[in-house]
Amino acid sequence: MALLEVEDLRVAFGASTAVDGVSFAVEQGKIVGLVGESGCGKSVTSLAVMGLLPRGRAAKGRKGDQPVQAAAEEVAGGSVKAAVAAPQAVPAGGGRRRGGGADVSGRAVFDGTDLLSLPPAAMRRRRGKDLAMVFQDPLSSLNPVVPIGRQITEVLERHRGLKGDKANKEAASLLDRVGIPDPVRRLKEYPHQLSGGMRQRVLIAIAVACAPRLLIADEPTTALDVTIQAQILELLKDLVDHEGTALLMITHDLGVVAGMCDEVNVLYSGRVVESAPVRELFARPTHPYTVGLLGSIPRLDLPLHEPLTPIRGSIADVIRWKDGCAFAPRCDRVADACVAGEPALVGSAHAHRCVMAEEVA
Amino acid sequence: MSTEDHALQDESPQVPVQRTAEPELPAASADPALLEVEDLKVHFPIRRGVVVERTVGHVRAVDGVSLQVAQGGTYGLVGESGCGKTTFGRAVLRLEEPTGGRVRLGDDEVTSLKGERLRKFRSRMQMVFQDPLGSLNPRHNVDMLLSEPLKVHGVGSKEERRKLAVETLDAVGLPKTVLERFPHEFSGGQRQRLGIARALMLRPDLIVCDEPVSALDVSIQAQVMNLLDELQGEFGLTYLVIAHDLAVVRHLSDRVGVMYLGKLVEEADSESIYEHPRHPYTKALLSAVPQPDPEKEATRERIILKGDLPSPANPPSGCRFRTRCPWAQDICAEQEPEWREAASGHKVACHFDL
Repeated sequence: MALLEVEDLRVAFGASTAVDGVSFAVEQGKIVGLVGESGCGKSVTSLAVMGLLPRGRAAKGRKGDQPVQAAAEEVAGGSVKAAVAAPQAVPAGGGRRRGGGADVSGRAVFDGTDLLSLPPAAMRRRRGKDLAMVFQDPLSSLNPVVPIGRQITEVLERHRGLKGDKANKEAASLLDRVGIPDPVRRLKEYPHQLSGGMRQRVLIAIAVACAPRLLIADEPTTALDVTIQAQILELLKDLVDHEGTALLMITHDLGVVAGMCDEVNVLYSGRVVESAPVRELFARPTHPYTVGLLGSIPRLDLPLHEPLTPIRGSIADVIRWKDGCAFAPRCDRVADACVAGEPALVGSAHAHRCVMAEEVA
Repeated sequence: MSTEDHALQDESPQVPVQRTAEPELPAASADPALLEVEDLKVHFPIRRGVVVERTVGHVRAVDGVSLQVAQGGTYGLVGESGCGKTTFGRAVLRLEEPTGGRVRLGDDEVTSLKGERLRKFRSRMQMVFQDPLGSLNPRHNVDMLLSEPLKVHGVGSKEERRKLAVETLDAVGLPKTVLERFPHEFSGGQRQRLGIARALMLRPDLIVCDEPVSALDVSIQAQVMNLLDELQGEFGLTYLVIAHDLAVVRHLSDRVGVMYLGKLVEEADSESIYEHPRHPYTKALLSAVPQPDPEKEATRERIILKGDLPSPANPPSGCRFRTRCPWAQDICAEQEPEWREAASGHKVACHFDL
């Protein structure tokens, strides 16, 4: 069984659905990519798994009709895994409500426990220890008025019970491990005194402080220059190779995916549209959206002035999944079958959600 | 909203824009350069003190850059953040006052223009910014946004301005129905089209594009890059493209300059700079770009540079890149490498032939 199994995850903010039934698995020591453009739901997926979304009416839904309805939809969606997803137990503190939050349903099973059904306190004990996250923008994820050393020892104190000198020593060795020179001096510095690459290293040091078994990296290199990006990717790869950490990599950059990931899930409008091992995906992209993404990027490894074939329109041109393929309004292969109801995710090793795939292939 | 939006963005992706195949001209010899920059410097003073301010040093953002952009050509200036590429672009347009050097556009000396003559001259050179939302006034509708440059330069009557706005919108792939809309009603890609339309309104000779696509999603990037290509042919534009993404620069430009810490380290036609990079920094930059092909990624040789960019207020002695260069020797610390022509049309600032 995989370390993390996300099954039919759904997240809605009021009337708008950000994640619309996403399933994927991350195995120990593997790197799994969630790929897509802004608004496809990749970041919301990671935040939901980490329990970092403001809780909305989901708790109420769990008590009542929502699981039944969700299960029914799952069966209709044709997901094999989803059919066995049972309605979860109601968490003890589940009655809490707050306006404007996210409605989260589905399951995110981490090592046998469904993270989505954990009460907030229990989730807090795991977050930072068993699973940790690296964000895109290191400047806004670090506290600007606290020295970075303290921000690292905070985690060590909370989850590993280390204090004083011991914690400082460990923090310095963590900084050393992520490649920050002169770590003892750096411990006293504030985030603004570090460069972007250094800050991202500090975030990674905080994330790996308790040797988490799952690391989620949300666009970890998007804000960085290419030479610094290369350093950070090398560091993340090293962690996976040597510590056996599982890495969920969220990115829009297909180059990063090609070099880092073992498995790739391509997201569009809140659903997985294609999922395959990395070589398979790049060798035989099947969903028109994946094909379109690959045709849109200028490449250094192809002849000069190779024309680009962009995807027309924008993500605003969308139809609801239950009425047909959400990508249909932008798709060149669109046919009547595409808008004749919900397309299912077909295939196991290389799965895609396109009704026209067979005809075209 | 969706149907209108759809119609509004419908451009035919089946017909990718082919770059007009020009015969390869030996750079800068046959056709005269439209833009010529000579030894341009922009230094920002670092001031200390509360009551009595004194200058304690200078940030040498741009420290002696010379380049030429051919009429109708595209020059790509590439480098990492902090290398001075944006400051260079702004100084060319006199949005930043150069500390030294000359800029010539056509027959006019841009650096010596003053006051009203400078203001008038600005209609010949325009800029497309990275962040289209930040560069469009949120309280102006498209009609106002597009006619404003014309009003400022006293071009045409109200009707003529509106007609020109509609024509320009059409050129960037937006329907005239958007005239009454405001910037927040558009998607990122559409806003960048508006930004480009605004730069086009005065039919300039030169457009400086500062990171024109880096804020956009991958599929939209391709649309905007194809649009820039199309417009170049249609309006006879000359571009100076500033970007950090090597693949974007390669795709758009015919000549490429690589900047590091305020100076050019290498310059060549885009073909030869990507095929045979000669400067260690260019090599490292190119090797750092992940390619969307797992087979190639598995074998890609990476040159991982150590450390970060040094401070431009206190650049290293000799060669500025030596602190991060994997091939650095003693001479690199002692002598600044000269800007030499290593091969025909291929200039590099390095002591060695790599």
